[in-house]
Amino acid sequence: MLMPIRLKGVMQAPVSPMKEDFSFDGEGFAKMVDFHVRHGAPAIAWPHHKAESLNLTIAERKLGAEIAVKTVAKRVPVSIFVGTLSEEDSLDLARHAQKADADAILTISPYCRRPAQEEIYDSIVRIATAVELPVLTYNSPWRNGEGVEFTGELTRRLIDRLPNYIGMKDASFHSQKYLEISRVALNMRPGFAIIMGVEHLLASYPLGACGSFSSSGAIAPNLCNKFFAALEAHDWETARECQFKISELWRLFKEQYPSSLKGAMIMMGRPVGPTRSPLPTATKERLEFLRKRLEELDILQTEPHGW
Amino acid sequence: MKTLQPGLVHAPVTPFRRDQSVDYATYAKVIEFHLRNGAEALALPMPEGEDMSLRDGELRELLEFAVKQVKGRVPVLAHVSDAGTSIAVARAIHAEKTGAAAILSHPPYFWHPRPAMVVEHLARIGAAVKLPFYVCTPPVESPGTELMSDMVMQLIERVPNLVGVVDASLDFVFMEEVISGGRRLRPGFQLLAGRDYLVSASALGGNGAVVPLAGIAPNLVRQVYDLCRQQKFLEARGKQEDIAHLHHLVREAGASGLKDGLAGIKCAMAAMGRECGVPRPPVRPLGEVERGRFEDAVQSLAFLKAEPRGW
Repeated sequence: MLMPIRLKGVMQAPVSPMKEDFSFDGEGFAKMVDFHVRHGAPAIAWPHHKAESLNLTIAERKLGAEIAVKTVAKRVPVSIFVGTLSEEDSLDLARHAQKADADAILTISPYCRRPAQEEIYDSIVRIATAVELPVLTYNSPWRNGEGVEFTGELTRRLIDRLPNYIGMKDASFHSQKYLEISRVALNMRPGFAIIMGVEHLLASYPLGACGSFSSSGAIAPNLCNKFFAALEAHDWETARECQFKISELWRLFKEQYPSSLKGAMIMMGRPVGPTRSPLPTATKERLEFLRKRLEELDILQTEPHGW
Repeated sequence: MKTLQPGLVHAPVTPFRRDQSVDYATYAKVIEFHLRNGAEALALPMPEGEDMSLRDGELRELLEFAVKQVKGRVPVLAHVSDAGTSIAVARAIHAEKTGAAAILSHPPYFWHPRPAMVVEHLARIGAAVKLPFYVCTPPVESPGTELMSDMVMQLIERVPNLVGVVDASLDFVFMEEVISGGRRLRPGFQLLAGRDYLVSASALGGNGAVVPLAGIAPNLVRQVYDLCRQQKFLEARGKQEDIAHLHHLVREAGASGLKDGLAGIKCAMAAMGRECGVPRPPVRPLGEVERGRFEDAVQSLAFLKAEPRGW
């Protein structure tokens, strides 16, 4: 039986803390998850790219999923990302997420293959029919037709086929691509959750997006919550201020994501450790630069320090 | 320089006769149609006006004709993009002499120069005139170099008459960066939403819009524009979805690998009782079967019932 879940607001996607020897820090991860819930996260989503998803082993991903579900303890919904390089792994992770009592899975057809629309369809149907959990898909179109793109037509077919298909993480950040999906999905399945990949929400909220999987929430949860409250109140002036500030943060952090972000979190008193190779760990110079910018943006002064 | 606020800018198609010459008699009708149906300014010839298919002399003649036809009733914005810097510069100077109200240009066609060279190309076009200057993002899938927000910031610092960006990228991140960063450097810096997607750009603080679908559905475009001006962004959603639906039909029609929509726009204009011929080669018009199917699809759109038929 499909349990309805409510996905709305700036939902937090915790990073994966590592110990100094680069091993997965399960204890730190539980603190990270709890930090987000206590600071108003309306949902927890893990492990997204921000959590170095593809640099975790399948065993680590299962362990993390279990820790997330246990730590959140049903205070808010938990979605588990099951995208991998190999569809067999994704299927395994999806079944595990259900067994671990997660509230939803987020999936995508395996990366790096430039799959055809038919291949994406088959992939999503295979994974979504292997579980009874609500399923979200991840639209990740890159330039020049690369990436994994969900067109409006593909979305329509999947909604038609899958009763447990409840939403889309959209990382197109593009008016036309967004509307191709939303005008089909929101009319076929009212309540279909369109969740922005990063909080580019001012452009999408008026068009029916219900929230975002957060990037900047790891260091600025107060700003995220203020932003969403402004959107809900239709206070566009405040929403613009918040959006432009978040946009600045995204510019700071998108380079070699999530290295800089993890560096800034350490600065805010949350020791989440280094970033696994091939991504770099933020250097001292980079941290100094970040400190200056975060101060200028009034983040260091207004956002929570420590756990 | 008094600040130009072009508002709702219609982008007319360019009609051709069977012998491929510009059909000026019909072009006059196109212009009058736009002026009667809510255009606060005209931008021409935009990509939907087949600027690339027109020769240099024709581009100049077309602008001269339009300025004469409009007779100052609304501002005419001249689009002068080209591959070569000097060609675009010369056309910008001509547009200024002809009486255009502003110059629009995007990064050069065809070449893929480094960002610094694109900045140089655009800076020279802007510097060649005293008119307000807008840089445009090229239609997203077009070949050529992308316009990045950093390049816009550099241009603001170099080109005093650069007043804004016409955004066809439809990219949320680009819009956020241009509006917030641009206004820090130049208060009042404008972003005009391109390609009929108004809600996101307006919510972010954009100023106006350049709307190629106005030749088909001027009322719908006007309604979304007015709602956005009143900051009623949620109320605009349904109508913006209608525009997206029409946009989808138009772009999916035809053989263009870029889905440029040129064949679809003209066919939809004809279906609305405004025959403008077919696009110039090499763009293929719709075949007979596809045309029939396309016209049926257009006729079945309930929201087009509220739109003007004929001229």
